Amino acid sequence: MVKLKHGFKIDTAKCDGRMHCMRACPTHAIRVKNGKAHLIPELCIDCGSCLQACPSRAISATTVSLAELDRFKFKVAVASPALFTQFGINDTPAQVGRALLDLGFDAVWEYAVDIELVNRAITDCVKSWPGPFPLISDSCPVVVRLVQVAYPSMVDQLIPIEVPREIAGREVKRRYSRELGLKPEEIAAIYITPCQAKSISILQPAEEVKSYLDGAIGISEIYNDILYRLRKNDSNSKGDAQRQAIDSGELFHWGNPEGEFPNLSREHYLPLSGLTDVIKIFDDIEKGRLTNIEFLECHACRGGCVGGNLTVENLYVARSKELHLKANMPQPTPEFEREVARRYDGEDFTIRSSIRPRSFARDVGDLRERVMRRKRGEDILKALPLLNCGLCGAPSCKDLAEDVAWGRAEISDCVFLSKSRIDRLRRIYKKGPRPKKGQPSS
Amino acid sequence: MTGELLRESYSIQGRNFDKAGEISTEIKVLLRDLGIDAAFARRVVIVAFEAEMNVVMYADQGTLTLVLTEGDISLEVKDEGPGIPDIELAMKEGYSTASDEMREMGFGFGMGLANMKKNSDDFCIESEVGKGTQVFARIRLNSNG
Repeated sequence: MVKLKHGFKIDTAKCDGRMHCMRACPTHAIRVKNGKAHLIPELCIDCGSCLQACPSRAISATTVSLAELDRFKFKVAVASPALFTQFGINDTPAQVGRALLDLGFDAVWEYAVDIELVNRAITDCVKSWPGPFPLISDSCPVVVRLVQVAYPSMVDQLIPIEVPREIAGREVKRRYSRELGLKPEEIAAIYITPCQAKSISILQPAEEVKSYLDGAIGISEIYNDILYRLRKNDSNSKGDAQRQAIDSGELFHWGNPEGEFPNLSREHYLPLSGLTDVIKIFDDIEKGRLTNIEFLECHACRGGCVGGNLTVENLYVARSKELHLKANMPQPTPEFEREVARRYDGEDFTIRSSIRPRSFARDVGDLRERVMRRKRGEDILKALPLLNCGLCGAPSCKDLAEDVAWGRAEISDCVFLSKSRIDRLRRIYKKGPRPKKGQPSS
Repeated sequence: MTGELLRESYSIQGRNFDKAGEISTEIKVLLRDLGIDAAFARRVVIVAFEAEMNVVMYADQGTLTLVLTEGDISLEVKDEGPGIPDIELAMKEGYSTASDEMREMGFGFGMGLANMKKNSDDFCIESEVGKGTQVFARIRLNSNG
């Protein structure tokens, strides 16, 4: 089995074992052992709930830093449209693009073309899809991983169309290796990402192929650098071709991160965001309901990508900037239309390999053994207090029962069943000074 | 019975729309945790959901029994309810006796029994007016038809 990589890492030295992450995790993928949080990689869907919940800031996103990009000869930024919603109402996408060049990128990609191409491919796919419905968008990696882990029977409903960022990465390499005579591996296609989940989807795509992109930089990581350059009001920037293109504004024909599908029937297209709502609706889809919807666009972050956990601006301020950008969006230029038409005819947008369920139960033993372990788990659960206190290091009594049945934990981890567990916890968690009054001496 | 690996019984409360669907969700989780083939599990869950909804909509109470063997899953649903006077008619797609209230809640489009049959390999239904209905459905592991 391929070792799963994840979009964030837990810094054990910083971890105080306070279990916020364990309780926040929607797929119960975290256990706290000996006062330190650990991940069950198969269950993690890279949603980043733990990252926000951690009071010790021990969990950080795996992204690349600008310095790591020096090994490439030509560096291209593919910026999530969410980036342009992060700055002031009068800061134009063109100015943000120039700031990216000042930061060391050699080019800023005209990503709107790829977004438009994928929107068309999705529309065509939905229209010719025989079923089952609804098709589910695959641009949010958390949604894809949620389906793989918790809704395996729905993997065939993930739309088999490549995401815009991958299409962009492929074309970045193609175009610049042709224009500059460089090898594809000498060109860096770097995604400026609103979340760590997209970073992991580049490190390890769900469909088990190699990403066309070379890494991702979080918006929050370069936010200050960009803001500084926007405020510096630098008028003596160089006038090379890349800058002129940006100045003309054509590079930033506004692409909507949530996608807009003008050719899909409004009656059969449903966008939704927020992991809780996504889970609720997936439960209904799995029961065969919601068949009237043809395409379901799901984003794990509330408010979509502008609400990603590596964004800086308050979601609704960012939304207002987004509305402003959309309202003032220039009409697509003839060049834009021509480029979209040219590439749509020449490129394949189907995903390269199908997405399969990720299950770790099926890898262990035969059905008979799995039934037996499950029964054992149920018996163990009867002995537990069902308080879900979490002191055993599992998020719920049911999780502990399963862990014990599968040999991942001991039943004596429960403080109700083992008094020595409390003594051990006391030793692990007694760190700082305590109020002297009434404190038992140990 | 030989090869029976697991037998689970669930009781379904009639007219309790708040809890409607909970049993099929429980079955879904059970099958997923057992690492059972996803496409197969999907059919089982659809049959279970429709059966559960029929009991919730029409009956006072009922039970759903799931039996897992190496090769198939069977679902047996018994309820104490009004029964079905004309089974042939009830099996037709689109035929429904659901009240406006049920329809408002998004149920009762007359696809339930037909949908159950479509997703099962063996399906039979017996009913006695004034007493109740029994449905038996078997889904075989290697027949994704």
